[in-house]
Amino acid sequence: MSNTSHEVAQGPHHTSGAAPTALSAHSIDKKFPGVLANDSVDFDVRAGEVHTLLGENGAGKSTLAAVLCGLYQPDAGYLIRNGKRINLSSPRAGLQHGIAMVHQHFRLVDRFTVSENVILGSRDLPYRLIRREIDEKVAAVAESYGLPIDPEAIVGTLSVGQRQRVEIVKALYQGAEILLLDEPTAVLVPSEVEKLFENVHAMTAAGKSIVFISHKLGEVVEISDRITVLRNGRVTGHVSGRGTTDTKELARLMVGRDIELNSQRATHAMGHEVLQIRDLSLDVDDVAVLTDISFNVRAGEMVGIAGVAGNGQRELADTIAGLISPTSGSITISGAMTTDRGPIAAREVGLAYVPEDRLGVGLVPSMSIIDNLLLTRNRQTVVDRFSVRPEATRLIEQFEIKANGPDHLARKLSGGNAQKVLLARELSGGRTATRLLVVCSPTRGLDVGAIETVRRILNDARSAGQAILLISEDLDEVLSLSDRVLVLYRGAVVHEALGEAAELSQVGAAMAGLSSQSH
Amino acid sequence: MMHIPFRVVFEQRGETPRRLSLIVPLVSVLAALFFGALFLLATGYSVFDTYTNMFKGGFASFNGITDTLALSTVLICTGVSAAFAFQMNLYNIGGEGQLYLGLIGGAWAGIALGDHLPSLIMVPILLICGALAGAAWIFVPALVRSRLGTSEIVSTLLLTYIGASLIKHVIYTPGSFFRNPNTSFPQGRRVADSASLDSFGSSRLYPTFFVAVVVAGALYWVVKRTEFGYRINVISDSPRAAHYAGINSRRTTMMVMSISGALSGLAGAMLIVGPYGKIEPSIITLGYGYAGIVVAALARNNLAVIIISGILFSGLRVGGNNLQVTTDTPIHIGVMLQGAILLFALGGEAFRRYHIHIVRTQTQPNIKMSA
Ligand SMILES: Nc1ncnc2c1ncn2[C@@H]1O[C@H](COP(=O)(O)OP(=O)(O)OP(=O)(O)O)[C@@H](O)[C@H]1O
Ligand SMILES: [Mg+2]
Repeated sequence: MSNTSHEVAQGPHHTSGAAPTALSAHSIDKKFPGVLANDSVDFDVRAGEVHTLLGENGAGKSTLAAVLCGLYQPDAGYLIRNGKRINLSSPRAGLQHGIAMVHQHFRLVDRFTVSENVILGSRDLPYRLIRREIDEKVAAVAESYGLPIDPEAIVGTLSVGQRQRVEIVKALYQGAEILLLDEPTAVLVPSEVEKLFENVHAMTAAGKSIVFISHKLGEVVEISDRITVLRNGRVTGHVSGRGTTDTKELARLMVGRDIELNSQRATHAMGHEVLQIRDLSLDVDDVAVLTDISFNVRAGEMVGIAGVAGNGQRELADTIAGLISPTSGSITISGAMTTDRGPIAAREVGLAYVPEDRLGVGLVPSMSIIDNLLLTRNRQTVVDRFSVRPEATRLIEQFEIKANGPDHLARKLSGGNAQKVLLARELSGGRTATRLLVVCSPTRGLDVGAIETVRRILNDARSAGQAILLISEDLDEVLSLSDRVLVLYRGAVVHEALGEAAELSQVGAAMAGLSSQSH
Repeated sequence: MMHIPFRVVFEQRGETPRRLSLIVPLVSVLAALFFGALFLLATGYSVFDTYTNMFKGGFASFNGITDTLALSTVLICTGVSAAFAFQMNLYNIGGEGQLYLGLIGGAWAGIALGDHLPSLIMVPILLICGALAGAAWIFVPALVRSRLGTSEIVSTLLLTYIGASLIKHVIYTPGSFFRNPNTSFPQGRRVADSASLDSFGSSRLYPTFFVAVVVAGALYWVVKRTEFGYRINVISDSPRAAHYAGINSRRTTMMVMSISGALSGLAGAMLIVGPYGKIEPSIITLGYGYAGIVVAALARNNLAVIIISGILFSGLRVGGNNLQVTTDTPIHIGVMLQGAILLFALGGEAFRRYHIHIVRTQTQPNIKMSA
């Protein structure tokens, strides 16, 4: 062990009768230039419980989790693990104390098998790896927590939910007693969330502790034993006990006001057809990803695409945006053929596109907010950042982006605030006035307050006559916002319904591939 | 098997503390001087005298400082050449070969155009021809890199050897255009007088120094402020974001590599308009192109900082060589000290990026010692 440890008195949250405190943090301060991301935060988690961190985007949840696992060193305050004070100089030191974090963006090697990924980074491997033994060991660890997984599968071929499971198995294999899950459900579909929660129960039953971060209040109420609310880096509330609270109250605690997530669906005139898709098909490596898709989106209309992740949504969006050339079929935006013309041609006739991946696709991590605003705009030979500055400042205000001003680097934004920058750029018009807006999972990772803002902006854009294609795995979102819903299953449109008339059960069945055409 | 009771652990830092960026280079140089001192003591030379002589020879004398700046003229160019490619994570290891082509390009213009034009026109023409020749030398590596993704590291490096052979060919072949026809000894043919610059006073420093500084500064500005630089930054940080934004990575790769090659070619042409005035075959033993990679690394590929690292590196080299002239210290000591300082300076990088600590490992009770 590399870390010094000595006895210190128990932390303030230790209550008698409950399970012993597994890990506690005391008056943690963590400064970043211009922000106090954690401001004397006290936090503790007991053996066998799920303790949730709740708070707005940029409240300091990920920062606190990073301090707890040794990724960041706090500027003040200390950690106590099993009654002993510990110093964590790195995530590895955290691991030695049984603390592991599962990041929202997975850190797995796609070309390796599951067990290769699991043992990656382990220190005490034998000189000669006997694959079969390791596979068995990995499978045994996975099995004991109800996380069945094939140790020989190549990680690149796994679904997002399965990859997350690999991350969790990896943490458990390395001996984690305390798991920090940072927005684990943001990337999961409902059935996967259910599975994850089963695993969480299995882990807590085995005496492990879970620190859970999520913006989805329904889930939070369902899974948490205790909830701690953060706001501007400070602890502003504790809620304890499962089922003793409701989502409305949590929302109020978080944002300090009531949130209305209702949607006024449009009762307005729709205009001409802005997006026309005809017989669109796409094969990737001889596998049909999209087959014979035809639909239109009219000015002032929002069309939602529902479907389980991986049924061609991403490819459909990329094809419309000109990033992928379809195998056959045509795309027309504002009357101009944009098939095969590339992304700039599509933008020039009024496309704006919010892709699914924010950091790394929609945003350039090492660039400032200003530079990221310029990514999809017209740039002069000598880039004029000066004249974009006022607009950047305005957008930061309008979208309530927590940042140190327009020069804040994208990678230093909190997850939700990065998403807001991306939305701000694409929703504020670029090369020309926006006529067609393609948005993928626009509210993923946003807090309830921000979701309200984004939905309002989407509605405003629709009222202003923009055509909107909303692609989301969040079925509630698609159903409550769209004028029309299309269900994508295995690359084909298998179901279509008007927004008000869309039946949850029918759409759900179509998503699962259980329906034939039913207009 | 021997049991080692401790283990050195490298852990990547999540964030590099600011102060380390200053402290590490300083401590590195001090450590290198200390290491050199041990070596000097062991071999019986005076530590103080050696160091003061080195410093005087490289910086604190008229000849020292002008020679240093003269050498830095070339190294700033080759340094910027390496660093500019690196802005897009491209490794142009073949600056050396592009410099040879710069010699040929510059000498060709200087000989072929004859003594008809004024210097003010002639010298820029030579520099441009050298740059074009350097760019041409990297054309194929750039093409296969941008089209097929073939490693530019290997292709640029291999072309260097061909470049060296080409230099030998044009000088050693009797009747060659670039060979001095009046001597039987293989020598380069001098370029026209109007293509040669005069050095400053009694020094060996040429006005090309200022060209090098301006080029470095200008490229720094290009990367920071222009649309072209913006594209480079997007591509180097996330190719997928570049694709999303419709930025043409292939064309940008071609342009960046061509400019990188042109800069090394420019360095070669500067040798023609400056100190040499002809293709001097011994230039291929000096390694200016390779040294540029080191200069770039010392500046952490910051195009403006290369002006400083280029001068410091040159001072070290001039001062080290000077030891042999002014004292009885053999040249190898100077070379050794140069090497030590560079190694320490670059090795210091590890401390910036990694948290390094030593962990005691438990002694296992049943270790068998095998004789
Ligand atoms: N590396 C960094 N450098 C500078 N500022 C940072 C850095 N990381 C986070 N911040 C800032 O610290 C604050 C807290 O960020 P944090 O990531 O902890 O928020 P969060 O609660 O996880 O939010 P979200 O729900 O959006 O993920 C934010 O204002 C953010 O801009
Ligand atoms: Mg976060």
